[in-house]
Order: sequence, then C-alpha cells, then structure tokens
Amino acid sequence: MSADRLIKFELSKLNVHLPERRLSLMDALSSAKPQVVARDGSVHTFKHEELEFLAGLLPESDRDKLQLPILIALEPKLGRGTARISGEAEVKVVSQILEKEPTAGELLIYRPEVAILRRKLPTTTQYLFLW
Amino acid sequence: MAVPLAVPPTRMELLKLRQRVGLAQRGHDLLREKMDALVIEFFEVVRRIQEARAKALEQLSVAHRALSMCFAIMGTLETKQASREAKRELQVEILTRHIMGIAVPAVEVEEIERNALMRGYGLHMTSSVLDEASREFERALNLLIELAELEGSAFAIARELEKTKRRVNALEYILIPRLKEAIKFIVMKLDEMERENFSRLKRIKAMLEERG
Repeated sequence: MSADRLIKFELSKLNVHLPERRLSLMDALSSAKPQVVARDGSVHTFKHEELEFLAGLLPESDRDKLQLPILIALEPKLGRGTARISGEAEVKVVSQILEKEPTAGELLIYRPEVAILRRKLPTTTQYLFLW
Repeated sequence: MAVPLAVPPTRMELLKLRQRVGLAQRGHDLLREKMDALVIEFFEVVRRIQEARAKALEQLSVAHRALSMCFAIMGTLETKQASREAKRELQVEILTRHIMGIAVPAVEVEEIERNALMRGYGLHMTSSVLDEASREFERALNLLIELAELEGSAFAIARELEKTKRRVNALEYILIPRLKEAIKFIVMKLDEMERENFSRLKRIKAMLEERG
C-alpha cells in the first residue's frame, strides 16, 4: 500500500468509534441498558452513575437536548491540545463540570480540562477528530 | 537528513507533491492529536491503577488478618470445611468501552458482598469471625476485578499508543521531509531551467541584433 493510501486509511479509521445515532440523556436514563452502536458495529455502553451525575447537572426540561456521547472535537487548526464542545446542553454540562463560564453554543477547552472531563465522564464522552 | 524521492522535475509533479505534503501534514496533525488523547487516557488509567492496587493490597491484608483470626478462633479444619461448603457462581459481564476505536474492557459484576445466610455454610457450627473473613475477601474480590479491568485497559491503550507514535514519527521524520526535499529539488530545477531559457533568449536576441 502506498504511503498516501495508508494515510487515507488511517484518517478513515479515526472516527469509526463514533455512534451512528446519538442517544438523548432522557432516553438513556429510561433505558435498562443505555448503549449506542458505533460505525464499526461495536456497542458502546454508558455507565448508570455517569447518567445520574449528568441528570443532576441539568434541569429536567433540558435532558432531551443533551445528546450522548458528548463529543470532544479535536481539530488541528484550533491548535494542539485544543478541543471544541458543541451544543447548548453539552456546553452547559461541560462548563459546570470544569467550572468555566458558559458560552453560547460552543466551548473551547484545553488539554488539562480534557483530562478532567474524561476522568469524570469516561463513558459518556468520546473524541471526535475533525479536519 | 531524509533521502529525497526520485521524481521528474515537472510542474505537474510539483503540484502532485504539494498535494501529497498537504495530505501527509493533515494525517500527521490528526494522528498527533490522537496520540495526545491516548497519552491523557493512558496516564489517567495508570493513576487509577495505582489507587486501585493500593486499595486492593490493603483490603487483601485486612482479609488475610481476618482469616488468620478465624483459623485461630474456629480452628483450621473447621474453617476449611466451611470454605468447602460455601459455593458461589459469580456473574461477570465483560462489556467494551471504546476510546478512539480501541476496545477496552468494562467489567460489570453483580453484588459480590452477601449476607451470612447466602454464603452456604452452616451458621450454628461457625463463628462470626468466619463471616467477617468472608466479607473481607468478598470486598477484596471486588477491588481485584476493578484492578483487572484497569490493567486490561492500560495494555490496550499502550499498544495503540505505540502504534500511533510510530506512525506520527514516520510521517514527521521520514515522509514529510522526503516530500519537502523533492519539492525543493523540483523548484530549484525549474528555476534553473527558467534561468537557462532566459539566458538563451537573451543570447538569441543579441545574435539577432548583431545580424540586423
């Protein structure tokens, strides 16, 4: 395989762990086995304690707006180690966890904050690679 | 220094090489982001392993102390007999959690701690120290399962990290420098050809002027 094809293959594999359809927090809470199917066919399961933790951070009316998993978008053009969180409910939750000022619709976080976020939400967050 | 690629010095090739550098650079940047994310995950898992191992070791020593006490109070034979009577099948569900496409184990286990009635040994022939020792070992088992899950995750992440690092290094130190060298070579060659053409034209012009 040529180097270019190898790079394209690697890039195509970067986001296969992402779900085909995301699940709202409300649906996840009401499900006995909250899980999503990834693009590679694997099943990703959310831990109940994390769902309860997230539910505690959001008012009940916003629970159907929060889509799981929360995507931590890594974009090289933002700079190394910078990640973007998109979505109103997602930004609300993440800014509460990281104790940051909430912004409208989008939040930029940095590597140490990504580590904190992943520590607190290991199953309900996933990385998304954008270019 | 990277060995340059053997390429024909044409404008077409230059355009192709510039596209290839763009792709390689993009791949490098993304794989480096992936590597950084994997490092975050790896250190987090290592931190949790250290905590879990310390807890498990402490719990195991508590459990062994309780067992020694049980041997001393109830007697070795009676304790062994009670352990033979106690039966258990533990339902362990091994799920997967994905970190950037790496399947790491996530173990879900039913409630390990039981009350004395559920353990299976006779209560009228045994002492409460046996219950205590059993409880401490059940707690230790819970911690050992958690530790196993974390160690499985650390191995999977470390393997992927090694693979990604090798690719990032190959792009950074071999492919991209080679492509850049090739571009530099073509640019220099094209510049040289342009200079040659320019001087040739000047010479022809001078010759024409001499004749005219």
